[in-house]
Amino acid sequence: MFLNPWSLALTLCSLVVLVLGAVAAKTAVRVLRFWEPGSDSNRQIRLENEIWLSSTLVAYGLGFQIMTLILFMLAADQFCKVIVGAMCATGALLANPFGMPALLVKLVGVFFYGFWILLHQLDIRSEHYPLVRIKYLALLLLLPLLVLDATLQTLYIAGIKPDIITSCCAVVFSDTPGSTTNLMTGFSQQGLLIAFIGSIIGLTVLGWTLLRRWQAWLADLYAAGWLWFFVLSLVMITNVISSYVYAMPYHKCPFCILKPEYHYFGFALYGALIPAAFFGASAALAGLVRGKAGLGGVVDRYQRLAVKVSLILLVIFSALSFYHYLKYLISGGEG
Amino acid sequence: MAPRNLEKQLNILDYALSSLWRRRMKSLSVLLVFAAVIFLLASFQMVTQALTDKASQVLAYTPEITLQKMSAGRQEAIPLAYRDRLAGIFGIRRVVPRIWGYYFDEVRLANYTVMGMDVREMPEGDRLDTALAKGTIPGPEEQGRVVVGQSIVKALNLDERNTFSLFRPDLSLKTFTVSGAFSRDTDIMTNDLIVMSLADARDLYEIPAGLVTDLCVYVANPKEIGTIARKISAILPGVRVLTRPQIQKTYQVVFGWRSGFGSICLLAALASFVILAWDKASGLSPEERREISILKVLGWETSDILAVRFWESVIVSGLACIVGMTAAYIHVVYFAAFLFRPVLMGWSVLRPDLHLVPRMAVGNILLILAFTVVPYLAATVIPAWRSATVPADSALGG
Repeated sequence: MFLNPWSLALTLCSLVVLVLGAVAAKTAVRVLRFWEPGSDSNRQIRLENEIWLSSTLVAYGLGFQIMTLILFMLAADQFCKVIVGAMCATGALLANPFGMPALLVKLVGVFFYGFWILLHQLDIRSEHYPLVRIKYLALLLLLPLLVLDATLQTLYIAGIKPDIITSCCAVVFSDTPGSTTNLMTGFSQQGLLIAFIGSIIGLTVLGWTLLRRWQAWLADLYAAGWLWFFVLSLVMITNVISSYVYAMPYHKCPFCILKPEYHYFGFALYGALIPAAFFGASAALAGLVRGKAGLGGVVDRYQRLAVKVSLILLVIFSALSFYHYLKYLISGGEG
Repeated sequence: MAPRNLEKQLNILDYALSSLWRRRMKSLSVLLVFAAVIFLLASFQMVTQALTDKASQVLAYTPEITLQKMSAGRQEAIPLAYRDRLAGIFGIRRVVPRIWGYYFDEVRLANYTVMGMDVREMPEGDRLDTALAKGTIPGPEEQGRVVVGQSIVKALNLDERNTFSLFRPDLSLKTFTVSGAFSRDTDIMTNDLIVMSLADARDLYEIPAGLVTDLCVYVANPKEIGTIARKISAILPGVRVLTRPQIQKTYQVVFGWRSGFGSICLLAALASFVILAWDKASGLSPEERREISILKVLGWETSDILAVRFWESVIVSGLACIVGMTAAYIHVVYFAAFLFRPVLMGWSVLRPDLHLVPRMAVGNILLILAFTVVPYLAATVIPAWRSATVPADSALGG
């Protein structure tokens, strides 16, 4: 179903990102082949100019990618109106096997572009550009991800036939026994809640300790903790938080909270969670390049900042996710 | 660190504004063309949105299931007796026979929609009075009394008189008395509509007794629509069963398709604009080269100049978006989207003069941004880099 403004916009954005990525990759190949930090040849000066281009292109790519991620969600929400049986984005995304992978790749892509920009920012803080080779190797590795993203998205859009019967979110995430298309089962609500609160406390304590006394293994633990918490939060949002937002026990859907009916609550929720996980994980990643010439101080400063930012966002995220829950416990919910 | 960075960005923004102002003719030309492209795309999007909304409003009052008899692939009259064969299906609230047809008025060259049904039999039928601007809905025993839509009032001059006549197929005249008129609010449904009793419609079209054009099935529980539709088509195999969700999806697909098709046509305009933007951004005048060289000598870095160019693009696209979308909104709301209406709407001769109210959700704005701003930013980034890497000594030496 390409003849639809949403599909067209998504395809257009993907094409733009691919073109930007291809131009950046051209620079990457040249840098990997000809980079000589000590030289003052014409080629080296040209290359030093070109790394500005590639970093700007990746920064734009990241911006566009975040935009397509949101656009993809909204598009799925539009598509559900033409797919028989789908009532929200879940049904639309499950309409063919490429929907969920496309979303996942987009989400992962946002993290990886972010990591690349972090590398770049660290690199230009040092006079020696110590990370140039690593950076451009990483850029070339990002390219397949871009292609995969565009391919999955195109396959998904091409595969949408406006008459396929799919399940709506009431079926997919419902916990009635016997429904076979359940996306997430086997989690007890109590257990999830305890794990969630425990992880929040654990992360806060870890972050606090790190800020007082920095230790490399603690930073790694903190990053791993964030990855765990990110996945846990997605499960938690789907299984517990969302139904409190909708004020409907059987409506468990991580996508409907993005709709205007729920005051775009999902944007605030994901808008806190995704950057928080990014900063939390990136502190350890930055630590990997601390040994390079001229980066020690820069990395230290960045790590402290990243841990602080992730802790602040964690507080915001926890407040947001418990808001509806506590409101329900205290005042009996909506109305 | 953060406040200093912010201050730097604010200063760069300030510089970008002044630099745009210095080249105001160039900036303005890009801005206007950009705004025009956004205007076209946004109008299209808003009309589609508003029409889709209207269609779903209209469909909210249609019966859940409509039955039409098919013969040789075409619709024909359905026997009233079919009603009894549906009696065994639980969940059906009511089956209401209906005669629905078009009447072509050869004098005024207009098509009217004629609906003959006993409105009191419809669920909510009693509330139909609230949709009337004046008069009442005639009861089933009142022969020859009708309720008409606004453009029928206009076309037949019914302000001064309240009777009019239509031809039967054998060219004898049938006279009607107007007992009420629909209000403007329901124009999209009732504009060209004449509602009369079943007997009157049968008389007008000379449909034999015991036949109607379709049967409206009202279902109590919307979740049972699919099941009941399946049961009906099993009992009455020669009948086309149309369910409301099906019709709704068809509308959605059609509007989406039309709007997608329109967008593809507008992509040509977008592409030419992107080429223009690229061209305007890459033509670096000697003054600009000197400006950048001086900035570099003053200690600006490549990244600062890239930031200036980025802010310039953001300002231009932001302003163009505001201008283009506002113009599109005015075009759709106050001029009823006269540029695109023929493409998106039907073919009826009596076209309702619509009052479209576009609903601008965040998603739609983002969609328009993705269509316009993303290509623009992408088109200006490489020229921006080229201008940012002008060496410091290039324009000063000579």
